[in-house]
Amino acid sequence: MRLPLPAVAAGALLLIAGAAGLVRGAVPQAIASGGSSAAAPIVVTNAYVRPPVPPSQTAAAYFTVYNTTAQDDTLTSVTTGAGAVAVLHTIVNGTMVAAANGVVIPAHGTLVLSTGNGHVMIEQLFGRLLPGQNVNLELTFANAGPITVTAPVIALGAPVPSTGATK
Amino acid sequence: MIRRTRLAVLLVAVAVVLAACSGSSSGSKPSQLNDNSGSGPYHGVGLDPAQPRPSFTLTDTAGKSFSFGQQTAGHPTLLYFGYTNCPDVCPTTMFDVGAALHSLAKSLQDQTYVVFVTTDVKRDTGAVIHRWLSNFDGGTSAHFVGLRGTQAQINAAQTAAHITVAADDGQTHSADVLLFGSDDYARVVYPQSTNEQQQIAHDLPLVAKS
Repeated sequence: MRLPLPAVAAGALLLIAGAAGLVRGAVPQAIASGGSSAAAPIVVTNAYVRPPVPPSQTAAAYFTVYNTTAQDDTLTSVTTGAGAVAVLHTIVNGTMVAAANGVVIPAHGTLVLSTGNGHVMIEQLFGRLLPGQNVNLELTFANAGPITVTAPVIALGAPVPSTGATK
Repeated sequence: MIRRTRLAVLLVAVAVVLAACSGSSSGSKPSQLNDNSGSGPYHGVGLDPAQPRPSFTLTDTAGKSFSFGQQTAGHPTLLYFGYTNCPDVCPTTMFDVGAALHSLAKSLQDQTYVVFVTTDVKRDTGAVIHRWLSNFDGGTSAHFVGLRGTQAQINAAQTAAHITVAADDGQTHSADVLLFGSDDYARVVYPQSTNEQQQIAHDLPLVAKS
């Protein structure tokens, strides 16, 4: 039972190409740019954008931020490729307010933005936002600097990335 | 042999990445915010004592006077205060209400009112509210009513419904949806949650005339 050498070589090539493809596919864009190693100080996951509900022209972005460092960090601003204005809203004392001075993410803590629990309000949209499109979000942190993530536009009522976080 | 070793390393790397993915998303377990197991027979939050259907008169999206107490009397009624330029809680809540109704028997939809009262007195005109509600009432035969009024009227309506009066041009407002039954009492309320649709779909038949 001896396979011809060319067949073995082709099989090995296929295996390697397949494995390489798997690796590329398995690393999400957001994590790749945000850093997936344990050394990344800030990890942003589960980003998505809800399109406006007409006639409203206001969209909302959501994401989860993990601060993996032993120091507090502050999310100071968010800019998006979807609109000219982006304002971070979080819940303070049970009320949704604009976070004028940013939001502190405690050492080893998380910030979870979800419906009713804070969002980035996006106004003065550059164009229509349609489900299936992607929006770039740039989050700027006082210590970690800017981090860019890609957020899919997800229709109202359609499933969103699960945060899995219990606060 | 070198190639095979590399391949093994690659496969291990894949396994680690996949494990990390499954670890970060633990399924559809509701968060603490939404982890409401309901009260009594209801999946929403029980109201004790029950609240009587309030009386207030506002203006509908066609510009006509609408007397909430009289015109919805005897009907299962979902009452919600919000504003249309809200990017977050308001459209999610109204979507859940529409989807819940869509899942119920048509006879039940026919007798149900959904009343949205705007807290944004300045920007929400009748036409704006009408267009906004049309995103949510598709496919259901329930009566969707959009109401507006002066600031004093809106404040009075919220007070009559025992809802926290909205502030900041109506943008800071209660997320509660009240469900009044055919007996004209609300015994259950729905704070914003990720399973609001299921809660309303479960409870509405319980408060309707059988």
